[in-house]
Amino acid sequence: MCPTLSITVGKNRLAVVNESTCTGCGNCEERCPEYAISLVPIKPKLLQVDWTRAPKERVFEVCRKAHMHPQEVICYCTGTRAREIAATILLGAKTPEQISRQTGIRTGCTVECIQPILRLLAAAGVKPRKAPGFQWYGLTATAWDLPDKVVKNPDYKKFYFDEDRKLLERIAKSQGDE
Amino acid sequence: MKGNFEKPLAPIPPLKSAYGVEPRYITKRAYQLLGMVFLSMKDLFPDMPEVIWPPANPRGVEEATRKALAGVNMDMIKLGDSVNVLASHHGWTILGGEAYTAMLRTIRDVVEERTSCKDIRLRAGVGLRFRETEEYIKRFKLDEHFKGKAIGIAPVDAGVPIETEIGTLYGIKKAYDATWVIHAHNSDVREIHFHRHVDRAVKPFAMSYARIETRSTYHHNLGPRGANFVARAIFKSKFVQDKWAFACFLIPTPAGIVGVKASNDLMALNGEITRLNLKTYGKIMTLLGKIDEVIAVLDFSCPVPYVFSGGVIYANFCSANIDLLDLDQPFPPYTWYTEAYYDENEKPLVLEIPPLNPAIKACVMNYTWIGYPAVFWAKHTPTIVVGEWHKKLFDEDSQNSEFMKHVREVAPDLDTAMEHAYKLARTDKVIIFDGAAGGINCSESLAELMTRKAPEVNREVEEKLMPKWLRQRADES
Repeated sequence: MCPTLSITVGKNRLAVVNESTCTGCGNCEERCPEYAISLVPIKPKLLQVDWTRAPKERVFEVCRKAHMHPQEVICYCTGTRAREIAATILLGAKTPEQISRQTGIRTGCTVECIQPILRLLAAAGVKPRKAPGFQWYGLTATAWDLPDKVVKNPDYKKFYFDEDRKLLERIAKSQGDE
Repeated sequence: MKGNFEKPLAPIPPLKSAYGVEPRYITKRAYQLLGMVFLSMKDLFPDMPEVIWPPANPRGVEEATRKALAGVNMDMIKLGDSVNVLASHHGWTILGGEAYTAMLRTIRDVVEERTSCKDIRLRAGVGLRFRETEEYIKRFKLDEHFKGKAIGIAPVDAGVPIETEIGTLYGIKKAYDATWVIHAHNSDVREIHFHRHVDRAVKPFAMSYARIETRSTYHHNLGPRGANFVARAIFKSKFVQDKWAFACFLIPTPAGIVGVKASNDLMALNGEITRLNLKTYGKIMTLLGKIDEVIAVLDFSCPVPYVFSGGVIYANFCSANIDLLDLDQPFPPYTWYTEAYYDENEKPLVLEIPPLNPAIKACVMNYTWIGYPAVFWAKHTPTIVVGEWHKKLFDEDSQNSEFMKHVREVAPDLDTAMEHAYKLARTDKVIIFDGAAGGINCSESLAELMTRKAPEVNREVEEKLMPKWLRQRADES
């Protein structure tokens, strides 16, 4: 459950933390069944990829394919925006874990931003190799691929499927200010 | 009304937790500030239902649970089966958690009495603080009551695929590793900014019992209203229905806990809860929207958005400038879909995004927890944090690495923070989010305003808003 795969089990089955890639998210400490892990303060480090290092048109294209505005915030803990993740993928990152190591995304709550990461990887044509354990299982439904029988079901009117999809699409396409 | 209000009510003391500071650091609570009064919910809205809590009444909750369960079919549970009682951390944030604990304990006892089943486990889900329910399990000795079978479950734990109408979603494996599941929740409205009171009773299937993929689907993939289908899709799946036993809900209102309801039919219970909540929470939320200017003081054992006042959480007060229950309104002033669409200059990407409640002129954080990304509030409301210990807590939280950069000031104590907040806000109206039972601790000036506005709000909700809210939720009305 380490989003940056910074823990390995070494000799004598002792866990070793790679401090250079650990971000201090605390997942290991919070889920250790034996309460055997404690967090200690480490020197703050800034993890960020300059999105302008990747070709702007390609960054925008990946965001557009993923139905995201380039400035859309996709990690509420780190404030990471879609364009940074798209650029990180275009610059060579191939898995959510590599993306987390480079940008810090998914190292806050470690919960909410897995789908936008997987959507951006798919939009860039990258099929990520699964990490060991249960880091993540896969892509799920989006507003753009809901079955018609769900969207058009009159009993489901209160979910505003069509209205929400159109709204999100309009935001994704409003890239004129970039 | 001047001078006729009750003395402020002492809230529940700070809790010892991995997510808050040592309680000894909290030397003064906001209700102790000069000029504060208690505004009773029953005085504001006399038609609020009668409550069984406050005052604290675990025996009353036990009796109400037994009475509610008497009408539930448990014949599907056989000797030798296993049963998971699914719980959520929210329940323990209501009036100190004792009432929810009493309900959970009683569910276990009644299931054993009626079915002779012995393998009854408590599986308690969390939000973004993965040890939180373990803390409650320990505090209320639930592991003993569940014979060593009470555990906390988290969204990063191993998952299980669930085939639904909208494709594969993922639950937490340990939530579903029994023959039967009992959905033991509460009807508190809590995150209206997320669920908009659509299928409120079903939501934990997309959250507390769900893996990260499912939660992320809810918060990123389907839109601010469409997202609510995730919970229904999981609940209606064959996987869940094959394990489904019944639901049992603690029923709070802004005035206190009114009872317990249980049913084998979750959707029927969902409708019942919706009708009650729109009438009760709908009124206090509408009234909170009439406040013109105020200082909000956060003083409760929860992260920033979840501190309570009058049964309403701070995140919803931040959205009280719109009708959060009106589903035609796509974006609340705060929700994650809203936060996503602010650009790098903190301007909304589309016109539909309303500002955070402009009546909140300043926010004083006297006592809050970490474990929820809260930077949005510090960016959009002038915020004063009380105590260096509070600052350190936020600085070391991986979900709040930028939070303190946007805070206006760290004050040495509550009195200094308030002195500065009064100058900053230029109002003497104060609302305290301290979870006081059955009403609101606030300044006398605010109590006067709310008392004056309550009758017109009562009429507005009954005659204008309720019919619209119910029409928008036709299957719940």
